Order: sequence, then C-alpha cells, then structure tokens
Amino acid sequence: MNNEASGLPERPAAPDSPQKQILNFLSSMQLGIILLLLLAVISVFATLRPMDEAIANIYTSWWFVGIMSFTALNLLLCTVERIGPLYRQAFRPRLEISFEAVKKMSVSRTVKLKKTAADPLSGAAAVFKANGLSARVVDAPAGQLLFGEKGRLGYFGSVVTHLSLLLILLGAMYGALTGFETQGGGRSGETFFVREGNFHVNIHEVKMEYLDEDGKVRPRAKSNITVTRRGEEIGRQLVSINIPLRFEGVSIYHSTFLWVSQLTITDPQTGESVGPVKLLDGDQYTVQDKNIAISALAFFPDFTMTPEGRPTTRGYKPNRPVLAYRITEGGQQRQWELLELGKPTVVETAAGPLELTLSGFENAAVYSIAKNLGRPYLFIGSMLMLAGMYMSFFLSPRRFYAVFDGKSSTLAVGGRGYRNKLLIEQLMEKIETELQQKEEK
Amino acid sequence: MPVIIEVAPAALFVENLFFRLATVAYLAATIGYLLNLGGKKEWGNFASLSLRIAFVLQTAFLVTRGINVERVPFVGHFEFGNLFIWSTALVYLWTEWRQKERYYAVGAFLLPLLLLYVIYVNLPMVNSAHRPLPPVLRYPLWLNIHVSTSVLGYAGFSLAFALALMWLLRTGLEKTVAQASPFMKTVFKAIPQPKALEDYMYSASAFGFLFQTAMIISGSIWADASWGRYWGWDPKEMWSLITWFVFAVYLHARFTRGWSGSRTVALVMVGWVAMMFTWLGVAWLLSGIHSFG
Ligand code: HEM
Repeated sequence: MNNEASGLPERPAAPDSPQKQILNFLSSMQLGIILLLLLAVISVFATLRPMDEAIANIYTSWWFVGIMSFTALNLLLCTVERIGPLYRQAFRPRLEISFEAVKKMSVSRTVKLKKTAADPLSGAAAVFKANGLSARVVDAPAGQLLFGEKGRLGYFGSVVTHLSLLLILLGAMYGALTGFETQGGGRSGETFFVREGNFHVNIHEVKMEYLDEDGKVRPRAKSNITVTRRGEEIGRQLVSINIPLRFEGVSIYHSTFLWVSQLTITDPQTGESVGPVKLLDGDQYTVQDKNIAISALAFFPDFTMTPEGRPTTRGYKPNRPVLAYRITEGGQQRQWELLELGKPTVVETAAGPLELTLSGFENAAVYSIAKNLGRPYLFIGSMLMLAGMYMSFFLSPRRFYAVFDGKSSTLAVGGRGYRNKLLIEQLMEKIETELQQKEEK
Repeated sequence: MPVIIEVAPAALFVENLFFRLATVAYLAATIGYLLNLGGKKEWGNFASLSLRIAFVLQTAFLVTRGINVERVPFVGHFEFGNLFIWSTALVYLWTEWRQKERYYAVGAFLLPLLLLYVIYVNLPMVNSAHRPLPPVLRYPLWLNIHVSTSVLGYAGFSLAFALALMWLLRTGLEKTVAQASPFMKTVFKAIPQPKALEDYMYSASAFGFLFQTAMIISGSIWADASWGRYWGWDPKEMWSLITWFVFAVYLHARFTRGWSGSRTVALVMVGWVAMMFTWLGVAWLLSGIHSFG
C-alpha cells in the first residue's frame, strides 16, 4: 500500500487532544469493521430463531437499532473526513517527480531511446493517448514530466456509495417512523377500519378469476374497493395480486384470499332456521338453545378423498364444494363430518335433531396495508449505491508518469493505481511494448 | 397444492439429453484442467474447449427448460442451480479469455467446485419437476433482474473462493516445496504468485459484491411490488445481507487497512460459506417465505 493509495490525512507528531482522539476513533475504519462483523454475527444468531421472535426481540430492539445507528455515524464521520483529502488527491496530483522517483515506483520500466530521443516525451504521450490516458507535459524542477491519467471519478466511488447507504438508512428510518404495516380484509359488502391511517376500506365485491380449465393454478382474486375518510372517498381500485391501491403513501395490497362457508341451521321440528352463518376455516358457531358448537375445519372447493382416506381438493375451482366440520356438545368433541353443498344433514343432539346445510360459499380477501414515505429515498439511494460501486470497481484511477534522462538516453515510466495494481501492471506492459515498437520502427 | 406442468415426452427427452450431456462435458473439463495442472500441459486447451462445450450445452438445456416451463427457468434449486453454474462458467470463461493460458490453473480449482454444484443438481432429492410460478412472483422485470444479478454475484464469489483455495495450497507448499514430490513441484510451479492470486481474488469479489448489491436491491423492489414491503427480515434475506457484510469487511480490510494474505483469504472463505448457506442452508435447515428456493 503506497501513500497514494491510503489518502489519509497526515498525522501530526504531537498527541492529539482527547476530543480529536475520540473523533478519530469514531471515524475509524477499525471501528467500522468491528461494527459490520458484529451486525453479521448477531444476524446469524437471529436467523436461527423463529422469524417473528427475531423481529420482535432483535431486529427492532433498541440495541440492534443502536448498533446500526452507530455504524451509520461511523460511516458519516469517516466519509466526511475523507472528502477533502480525496478531492486533493484527485484534482491536485503531485507532479514534482524526478527521474529517480519514477524509476522507484512500484510499477515502473525504463526504456532506452536512441531513435526517438529527439522528442522523447511526445512519442510517449502518443502511446499514453493510444491507451486511453490523458497526457500533458508539465515542468518539474528536475526537467519535464509527462503525466497521463484516467478514471478520476473512481476516487469518489466510495464517497457516493457511503452517502447512498446513509440515504437508504435514513429513508428506511423515516419510512418506519412515519408509516405503519398492518393487515385487514373481508367479504363482499364488508367494511373495515384502519386505525393507523384513520380511514375505512369498503369491499364492494370479491371475485375470482380462474386461469385454467381444471383449476389447478391458483386463481386471481380481484376485489373492488374504495377507501373513505369521514365519508369522503380518497381512493378506489380493482385490487389484485401485484396491482395495489396507492394513496397518500399508503398501499393496499392483495395478500391472499380465503373461502367462506355459508351454513344454514334448521330445527326440523319447528322449521325455524338461522343463517346463512358465515364461517372461515377455524371459526366456530354456537347454537345456544341446543348447547352445541359447530366448528368449520376446512373448506374444499373441489372435494375428493386421498387413497389414504383423507379429504382433499383436486383444485381451486368450486366443482364440488364440501365443508369439513366438527360438533362439540357439552365440551365433548365429536368425530369430524363432511357437508356437501346443498345436501342437508341431520345431526342428533341431546336437545333434539338439527339440520345443517352448506347453503353457499364465497371468498374473502386479505390485504396488507402499509404506509411508507421512505420509498423514493430508498430508491434513489439504491441507484446511487450501484453507481458508486460501479465507480469504485470499474473506474479504477490510473496514473502514469514518464521522465526522460538525456545523459543515459533512458525514458523512465512509472504507473500508480488507487486499488488495482494488477491493472496498472498490465497497462504498463502494453505501454512498454508500444514504446519499444516505436523505437524499433 | 403442488401443481406440475405437463411436458410432451419429446420435449422432456431433449431437455434431459442436454442436461446429461452438459454434466458429462463439465466432468471432462474438470479432468482436463486437473491434468493440465498436474503437468500434462497438452490437456489445457482440451479442458477449455470442453468447458465451452459444456457452457453451450447448458445454454441449450436452459433454453429448452425455459420453453418447457414457459418462463425463465429459475424456480427451485434445480433450475436456479443450473443458472448459477452456467453464470459461473460464463464469468470464468470470460476471465480465461482475457488472461489466456496462464489462467488454466485457476480452472483446476474452480471446475472441481463447479462439479460439486453440478453433482448437487443431479441429486434425486433436488426436485426437478416442472412447476409454474406462483402468481405473487410474476413481476417479470424486477424478478428477472433479481435472478440474473444473483447468479452473477454467486459466480463472482465462487471464483473468489476457488482462488482462495489456490492461495492456501500455494502458500502451504511454499515452505515445503524443496522436499516435495516432483508432482507437487509441478503443481506449485503452475499456480500463479500469491500476490497475483490476491489481486484476482479481489477482482472476483468486487464483481460479486456489485452484483450481490444489485441482487439485494432488485429483490427488495420486487418484494415491495409483490407484498407491499421491501424488507421482511426473512432468513434468506438476512443471509444474503450477512454474505454482503462479510464481503464488505473483506473489501475494506484489504483496501483501507491494508490487510493481505491469510486474513483476507479467510474472510473470502467465510463469505463463500455464508453465500452457500443463503442458497442451500436456508432452504434445507431454516424456513421462511423463500424456502421455495
Ligand atoms: C456495508 C456498508 C458499507 C459498504 C457497502 C461500503 C462500500 C464501500 C466501497 C464499495 C468502497 C470502495 C472499496 C474498494 O474500492 O475496494 C469503500 C471504501 C471505503 N469504505 Fe466503505 N462501505 C461500507 C461501510 C463502511 C464503514 C462502516 C466504514 C467506516 C468507517 C467505511 C469506510 C471506508 C473507507 C475509509 C473506504 C476507503 C475508500 C476510499 O477513500 O476510496 N465503509 N466502501
């Protein structure tokens, strides 16, 4: 690592003041490495825990957020501290370099010139230019120096990358502090309230779009919704997968759909009937006067039995809707039973018989509702980050120097890179060959 | 509900044929590069040619597979693994083309690694059924960017890992080469200088890092479009971030702190392990939304 590469401000010999020492520590790469490793190690352990628990106890805990903020502070200080030196390095290169100094550069060559010695530097300048380098001759104390360079933007790649990372972190924080994430949903005709955003979501209709003949492919649920606040409409959309409703930085995404069984319960002795009662899988309905509870276990749109005798569905299309349910009487669970659409079943209870009918079914939509005002910053930050990395990795700065020594009629050529010595070595090889070819012509 | 796309027997036959032939060609390339490293120089060009043939055959396989599943083939370990092997071969062939024969020794380390990946996708436990894409994932632009950047990132890291292994062998032999067998002496001579290996390793890691970054970014944009949130702290996401952290530490330690040698080699190896865990470990050992692979 030569001093060209480090670009660090020079340290004075006297001990720094305590404030300066603290600042140096806070802006040091050493601290940066420790913090990044710490984040990596904590993340490893966090992924071994169940996700919900890790989110609640680790990723959103004060200490994890604290370490991230500390890393951001470290990064900010380090980047700001380096902008000045980097600027000087990029735009004020040191050009008082002697023949001897060029020869001593870690990548250097000497070429004996006889034929082209009359105008050695312009010959070399042509070779520099042919290799994509700028070329200018400057007067140095010890004679003339040919200086060529390329990829100056590369010096600022890390600055752009770091500032973009800070923008991403700040955007994420801003989004998290001003936004929310929640879930909601319902059936056609239902309305639910989103407290965090103070608005109502009215679901006018949930319809299913089947994508294939036999219903093997998961259908698309589409729901027509409007959003209102104090009776005034603020958004409207036919929402389906990947087509959310967006307003005020809030997005309402279709997340999944559910089946709703419509159950009609009739007392065959009196002819009295209730329903249709609407049950999601897992819901329970209690028939008060009979002291029984009916649990909807699972709805099968296209019912069949597996060879092992378990109920299942052939596909998503409701070709043969069947509900699996269970009766609980006086705390006693009975064996599960099946109820096919439109085929009533009579259930015996201690308080007399009861007729159950699966009289219909419908779908409910479930939405993820999120407000995130940080999005544009995250997006800009991400694009800048890629640009910064591209600058860092692909626009490698390269600088070449050439000085002619008349006495020995030798041209010394030296090359310096910022991080990629291999590249300099390879370019140097080409330049040397081309210089020699010029001499031989 | 596991849904399988029905594929015509002839189409299936062509797909399988290309897959098997590519496997054989990868095996041939591996043997060729190893023989070349062991001193049989005449095998170098054979190895390189076999690898190009393997690459072309695998391209043909991916195209037929894509036609058979009616989308870009990247779902599950079988398809993603094939894409990832393909992209690693591509990145390697490109560097070999630029560096010429002196790079053949690198092939002798990368190809056995690649062959392990090839063996993995050949295992019966890796499901190769033709499955349609769940609707939530059908967001073509970001999804395709996500997949292509991720395989390129993985390719860069795999190449860096192979170079790290080379570095280990080369420096390990350094002290003992005088007493080593003639064979080991030949191998030693064929491997580039440790300093050059470190530079190659840096380039491969930087390449991988850039694409890994693009992968994480496009993945979150896609997640945002599909689920309404760009980051879900899901284990697969976290492990790609862990990999990213490790390579970030490597790049900084090397560039700013001037670390070199065994410490940077160790960081690259840890980074590769994290990458492999992101690909395989998360699906086989942990669970999350991403466990489809
Ligand atoms: C994960 C977060 C980070 C990312 C993605 C990142 C990215 C980068 C990149 C791409 C480079 C150019 C490296 C190269 O050319 O090899 C760089 C350089 C650098 N980074 Fe970071 N960095 C991160 C965190 C940090 C932290 C926490 C510090 C703390 C001080 C830091 C300090 C530096 C320094 C001093 C350089 C030298 C750059 C120069 O002046 O050109 N970085 N960083």
